[in-house]
Amino acid sequence: MRTRGKIKRDYGRELAVIRTRTHWFILSGFLIFLGILPTILTATDNNSWLTWLNFTLITIIAVLGLNITTGMAGQVSLGHAAFIMVGGYTVGILTTKMDWPFWLALPTGGIVAAALGLLVGAPSIRLRGFYLAIATLAFLLVAQFIIKHLDITNGIHGLIDIPAPTISDFKIDTDLKWYYLILLLAIGGVISSVNLTRSRLGRAFSAIRDNDITAPSMGINVYLTKVTAFFIGSLYAGIAGGLGASYLGVIRVDQFTIFDSIWYLGMVIIGGAGSTAGTVMGVLFLRLISQCLHIVSMGSWLPSLGAGFWISINYAIYGAAIITFVSFQPYGLIAIWRKWQAQYKRWPFG
Amino acid sequence: MTTLLQLTLSGILVGCVFGLIAMGFVITYRSAHVFNMAYGQFAMVGAYMAWTFLGSPDSPRFPLWLGITMTVLFAIAFGLFVERAFFRRMIGRPLFVPFMLSLGLLALINSVVLLVWGPAPLALAETFPKGPVGIGEITLPQEYLWSFGVAMAALIAFVFFFRNTKLGLAFRAAYDNQVAARCLGVSARLNSQIAWIISSLLATIGGILIASVQGVSPLLGELAISVLAVTMLGGLDSLVGCIAGGLVLAIGGNLASYYLNTYVQGISEVFGVLLILMVLLIRPAGLFGSKSIDRV
Amino acid sequence: MRGKMGQFFEITVSEGNHMAPDGTGNKNGTIVAGRDLSLSFGGIKALSNVDFQVRRGEIVSIIGPNGAGKTCLVNCITGYYRPQKGTITYDGRDITGLPSYRIARLGISRTFQNPSLYPHMTAFDNLMLARYMHTRTTLPEAMLFFGRSRREEIEGRRFVESIISFARIQDLSNRTVATMSYGQRKLVEIARALAMEPRIIFLDEPMSGLDEVMKELVAELIISIRNQGITVVLVEHDMQVVMGLSNSVIVLDFGQKIAEGSPDDVCRNSQVTAAYIGGIVAGRSC
Repeated sequence: MRTRGKIKRDYGRELAVIRTRTHWFILSGFLIFLGILPTILTATDNNSWLTWLNFTLITIIAVLGLNITTGMAGQVSLGHAAFIMVGGYTVGILTTKMDWPFWLALPTGGIVAAALGLLVGAPSIRLRGFYLAIATLAFLLVAQFIIKHLDITNGIHGLIDIPAPTISDFKIDTDLKWYYLILLLAIGGVISSVNLTRSRLGRAFSAIRDNDITAPSMGINVYLTKVTAFFIGSLYAGIAGGLGASYLGVIRVDQFTIFDSIWYLGMVIIGGAGSTAGTVMGVLFLRLISQCLHIVSMGSWLPSLGAGFWISINYAIYGAAIITFVSFQPYGLIAIWRKWQAQYKRWPFG
Repeated sequence: MTTLLQLTLSGILVGCVFGLIAMGFVITYRSAHVFNMAYGQFAMVGAYMAWTFLGSPDSPRFPLWLGITMTVLFAIAFGLFVERAFFRRMIGRPLFVPFMLSLGLLALINSVVLLVWGPAPLALAETFPKGPVGIGEITLPQEYLWSFGVAMAALIAFVFFFRNTKLGLAFRAAYDNQVAARCLGVSARLNSQIAWIISSLLATIGGILIASVQGVSPLLGELAISVLAVTMLGGLDSLVGCIAGGLVLAIGGNLASYYLNTYVQGISEVFGVLLILMVLLIRPAGLFGSKSIDRV
Repeated sequence: MRGKMGQFFEITVSEGNHMAPDGTGNKNGTIVAGRDLSLSFGGIKALSNVDFQVRRGEIVSIIGPNGAGKTCLVNCITGYYRPQKGTITYDGRDITGLPSYRIARLGISRTFQNPSLYPHMTAFDNLMLARYMHTRTTLPEAMLFFGRSRREEIEGRRFVESIISFARIQDLSNRTVATMSYGQRKLVEIARALAMEPRIIFLDEPMSGLDEVMKELVAELIISIRNQGITVVLVEHDMQVVMGLSNSVIVLDFGQKIAEGSPDDVCRNSQVTAAYIGGIVAGRSC
């Protein structure tokens, strides 16, 4: 058994995420792995895994936002898909109809979504719990309705031919080039999310999540904190939406339904509400299921069952996964991970 | 003027049906402390099972009375199953947990229905005689009157159950104060089962009534939005509020659809949602719901 | 130094007491005062025309039978309830109706009847929460961490450690609150209220549910707090504690103030003895 001391010599060391030399090694190794990952994935001359990875990374950015709003601050949001949609449409409209460059459109998309997040968070002064959740759902439905009926968004047809980002002559038009861009933003998202958890704001979020009645006794402005939670969450979502729209090249209203909101919530819960690492695990978990199903559906040994069939199977498994985790492991994958870690450290003392 | 009267009357008929359906939602909220987002799916399953037993107009299966009886039995079994398999474990957990579970259930049931019956809409075999009925200058579709009748009959049956049977009395006691009822010997498990059975029954009845007018399709799940609108308006813990909410939703929807459809196309589909938003912004507890005062 | 509780308190109080009970010779003014406070819930009058005064640096107790309105009064002062009538002043400034987080930021902190700590955090993290209003990190700074966020975190931790040693709860510091006993939670909650650097602290029934040993610990803590210059207001039922610790006592009954003054004066008040069944206003001075 290896002994592990939890001796920290100063407060800075205690706060740090990377605490020992081993941690640095693991981190560098992981970053190198991420760097060469695409070459591994495309070894079989099939881009399917790389595309999957790109979408998964975009989803991670989006769900990190929901983790902040719902997992950390406890404000249940069923409308997260709406913020992603708004971010995507903003980028789409700005790049197709107003010829804005992607690099300007993306942050704008994030800001527009965040502004909407302020709007959605505003009623939290009077609404709590289920009522707030229903309000966010209502917001999603209204947003869908509005976008379906506006001309600038092309109604139900959506936008197409969203151009790829360019830096002078360099165009980001292959999965590989997209990968590095998305990865960079995803890493930024993860780092800022982790930093939030260990900041004063992160603590305020926990306070209002666990007991928002007594939180003001510590000088916390509960309303402002709730609105901030929505703001940040929708900022992440907007950026993810903008990335997704540009990557895919098209955007349509029916890509953002209440089911998507449910999956995002599910990813937060399955991974472990409030934990950044947990959220990444949750996203990976569900997305891997999707990919496996996709591969199975492509298999030639099965009769052609139609796309609808596989989507329904996918949804059914997602639903079952949510039910299973909520029933038996509501603290999520991260709790399982931590338990294993603790057992490993104590081995063989169990 | 007659149009106004017609819209209002048909609204009353439909509204009472909505109100009855919404009661199933309120019962699980107050009795089992579950905010059941999957309630719309319960109605959908009920309607699909009715179709399975009754068939469609061109190829009917069992006679009406048999088919309905079997569907009702299924609804009871379904309620028991959902309670035992999913929600019994949730007793005592914070309110968000069963809420999240009901979201997962929503997805699961929706997918299973699509897998078993396919996405194409189906027509339900004739449950009510169709065709318009004239009352003075007003014409109303016959199905509305029949649905209203069935809903009222169901309502009276449930009221009878609550008032005049021992089981009903026990349920009412637990509905008001679960802990006290347990002290008096009302089993918590039985109470939970009754709540879910009633919820499932009401959802199924509602689903069949709606399906006999609109047809059986996965869109029936959107009943959930109407139920939410009714319960938000009426008050999440008020049975009386359900009827009130149902009336407002149906009559208001009719009027909005008729008068505003030229300005905003498709207003009817979003009317329920707008109603929800209005209620939440003005008076979240609803018309008859209880406001809670947090004691520190 | 152990022996009977009352004995212990009398010795320490007179040692640390710089203020004569009748207020002469003290240069300390009023820190919190209420005038004509009335609060109703629907038809129930929780408070009726209550006047009171708390002088700086004192230990004041609010007593009264159950349902007299003691916690209501504290809730009004700390901004959780809004009185329909009357004013509350803090250092001469009107704070009636201010939201509770504003009042906390002015230097008024409190504890609750049922410990309101966050059960899944350690005591240390709970105390770190109290540093929220003394830090200035903004959202973008929080997301960057290196810079002000990190600095304030480190400073906060240093300060919290000092409060932990002051309150002598070092052994509780790294334990999750969920694993603590009721009495331990009360201590930690008081420590958290202290970590806010308040000028006045309201303790809602700090002694209820505690055994004799814990009561002594809490009493010692209260005296140490007062010796730091912080005014302490207690809502309490335990008469020995009240009589032994307080400079001044406010008595409520049915939402009205029926007496206010030094413990001795209050004891001799017939209205007060009538309010308590059988005249159980125990304590050596009665």
